[in-house]
Amino acid sequence: MEWTLVLGRFYGIDTFIEFLTILVSLSVSFYSFRVYKLIKDKHYKWFSLAFLLLGISFIFKILSNITFLHKFEVQEANFVFTFMSHLKSMEIVNFFSFVFYKTFHLIGFLLLFLILSKNEERNKNILFFYLSLIVVLFSIYFNFVFHITLVFILIYLTLYFYENYKKVENINAFLVFMSFLIILTSHLFFIFSDVNTLFYLFGEVLLLIGFMCLLTNQIRLKIKSKKVLKSK
Amino acid sequence: MKTKRTKLEIIRDLLDTLQKNRKVKITHLIYKANLSNNSIKPYLEELLRNGLMEQFFEDEQRLFKITSKGNEFLMEYSKIKVFSESFGL
Repeated sequence: MEWTLVLGRFYGIDTFIEFLTILVSLSVSFYSFRVYKLIKDKHYKWFSLAFLLLGISFIFKILSNITFLHKFEVQEANFVFTFMSHLKSMEIVNFFSFVFYKTFHLIGFLLLFLILSKNEERNKNILFFYLSLIVVLFSIYFNFVFHITLVFILIYLTLYFYENYKKVENINAFLVFMSFLIILTSHLFFIFSDVNTLFYLFGEVLLLIGFMCLLTNQIRLKIKSKKVLKSK
Repeated sequence: MKTKRTKLEIIRDLLDTLQKNRKVKITHLIYKANLSNNSIKPYLEELLRNGLMEQFFEDEQRLFKITSKGNEFLMEYSKIKVFSESFGL
């Protein structure tokens, strides 16, 4: 009897990509919280929470992909048959991890939408949260609803970051705009992931590129602050 | 034409003045930060509440000085500015 750990699809490439996206999300979340601690501006606190939720969602995505395979052999006459079976308890872990991944991912992006749309009206927010709850519930059962909802949120966020880039005209704002544009494209691919797994692979690669743009932005911030400190 | 300063830039200007001087009167802050008597009030309250500066009294005069947290903010300012600009916060 032999146990094999399977890290995800495509020899665990998707798990590796998700691990990197966790690091990037947590890095943005950590810095935003640091700014909040300094100036106590609530926008930074919510922004930090949004990226924290995205980071946590990817942890659940990794958990949802992990499978333990139970390999056993049966000998019949001159033949040896090899069977692989899933561990039953892992199926439950996988299911709930996937539910949590979808829930945290949607709430993370919805929170970003809420912060950047700067909606302060309480009545509208209550309606927004109610509709979000419905969307989350539907997304749990229908994969395409999850991705289509994300596409719509990401269209808004991408347009927001494009307008912001036009306003401030710097490379960092461009990187953020590009990052969200690529993440949006990745979710367009994910919509068709149930049709063909290649769509899933393309989506994952694009997701990685998108988050790498965000990482580049974070690295540029670090370099800039070091330069400022040296010049003082 | 000069664009309107952001909240972050006004906080930087106020803390910059406090960092360059050991103790500062409110009139000096108003002058250096280019704010009116009324518009400076919410900023002062926020800086005090967030522990970026502190007030004390000397010869019955209200004075302000920067705190270590305020100095930390100035060190981080350029990074915070780029961060908030890049995400449009």
